[in-house]
Amino acid sequence: MNPMDLVPDDLDGPFWAGCREHVFLVHRCDRCGRAYWPASTCLDHGVAAMTWQPASGRGEVFTYTVVHHPYDRSLIDKIPYAATVVKLDEGPFFHTDIIGCPASDVHVGMRVHVVFDDIDAATTIPHFTPDPQG
Amino acid sequence: MNDSGSGPGGRFAIAGLGVTEQGVHLGRSARDLRREALELALADAGLSRRDVDGYIGTSSATFDDIRHLGLAPGFAYTMQSGGATATMSILNAIGAILTGQATTVVCMYGVAISGGRAQLADGSTGGYGTFSYGYPRLYGFIGAGMTHALHARRHMYRYGTTSEHLGAVAVTQRAHASVRPGTLGYGKAFTLDDHQASRMVVDPFRLLDCCRDTDGGVCVIVTSLDRARDLASTPVVVAGIGTGHNMRNWWTGDVYDLHDDIAPAKERAFGQAGITVDDVDVAALYDPFTISVIMQLEAYGFCEPGEGGPFVAAGATRLDGAIPTNTGGGQLSGFYATGFTSVVEGSRQIRNESGATQVPGAEFALVSGHGGNGGVQNTWAHATMVLGVDR
Repeated sequence: MNPMDLVPDDLDGPFWAGCREHVFLVHRCDRCGRAYWPASTCLDHGVAAMTWQPASGRGEVFTYTVVHHPYDRSLIDKIPYAATVVKLDEGPFFHTDIIGCPASDVHVGMRVHVVFDDIDAATTIPHFTPDPQG
Repeated sequence: MNDSGSGPGGRFAIAGLGVTEQGVHLGRSARDLRREALELALADAGLSRRDVDGYIGTSSATFDDIRHLGLAPGFAYTMQSGGATATMSILNAIGAILTGQATTVVCMYGVAISGGRAQLADGSTGGYGTFSYGYPRLYGFIGAGMTHALHARRHMYRYGTTSEHLGAVAVTQRAHASVRPGTLGYGKAFTLDDHQASRMVVDPFRLLDCCRDTDGGVCVIVTSLDRARDLASTPVVVAGIGTGHNMRNWWTGDVYDLHDDIAPAKERAFGQAGITVDDVDVAALYDPFTISVIMQLEAYGFCEPGEGGPFVAAGATRLDGAIPTNTGGGQLSGFYATGFTSVVEGSRQIRNESGATQVPGAEFALVSGHGGNGGVQNTWAHATMVLGVDR
């Protein structure tokens, strides 16, 4: 599944291009420093100073749901999985899943970091996984 | 003095209410359901088709077929703001009357979706994962259940809310529906054990924490209170309306801790009606999932933040409780007509037509709606409406 087939337009394109280079970007206002995701317009300064900048790729589980019902045939082999919202250390929320641990281990406040999954030559999907020290 | 604005000021009313059969797989078209809802509402008000001079549709399609309905209004449009659309259509109807565009406005809902996913205007088959901002779909985010579960998880984390608390909402509302003919739950009460035994869908939601799509039509006719008094039905006074939007809470990072943006809507609607939460006799809350009731009861101030679960478990939302809630079963056990589910039950309570679950002497009914998704998070728009008796 290619992210660019799912989003409404190419405004997030630089983010997904960054993932192919294994760099996790956020959209940041250079005037006030506020970080955003997805592609945004600064509440206070508009779009003029918005640039894509490397971020830590770290954050914590803010909320999640463990999905037991496959809403689509493609998800039958995936259940149960933790559909998760991570609060990035830079501030924005990022919808993702948690890999590298059972879904039942996921909890609010769990420290996580990004890992990149190279699907094919053109597509890389970022997932999150627990930090070693939790 | 609050900033509630001039508001409807009790000068407008729901003068006609038309509700078709509501259920799963009715086998009827949306157009036919709308036609019947219109005729029921007109008969209720004692009006004819030619009296209707404004039309506001609430379907996902861009244009409702008003030709098929046999109408000849001065304007017709459809609007969409998720589960807030029902109350917002009434708000828009009042605006049209206030500005001299019409005197008698039909607000229409009618869908036949339970046989499968509704096809949207752009040809897609919907689902929140692909509704308008698709990247969460990469990770298996699909549907409103998951997005509401994100609120429920936060509530459990912050306050210790349990699955049994969620179940108390489901059991209470099913008890209401079980004695209300025409609801999905009529004659089919269930227990907390039944709730706990139902399969997990999107943790913490079990099957009985979720509503299901139903087919049906609802038509509401809005006019001035003066005119409504001359019509056939008992006027339901629109005492106050307020709106909010969860994007405000997205920017502050509170969007998952606040179910929807109730605070400004409550202030405006209650201010216009001149009431406090203590004056509300019955609540009709938008409830696609059990957590919605718990978090809204807190946000409106019926109980303290975090106490919604124990509040419901102690019986506060039963007919003999502090605030009888979703007396028609709500969306969970009544029927899913998006925001019109709560508009219908709030109106029936004010008209003293809620049968076995009528709250005696109800003078003020609280109606809420939320929903829509223009981006990556659910429950965007919110609308609060206070309905009252004509005094």
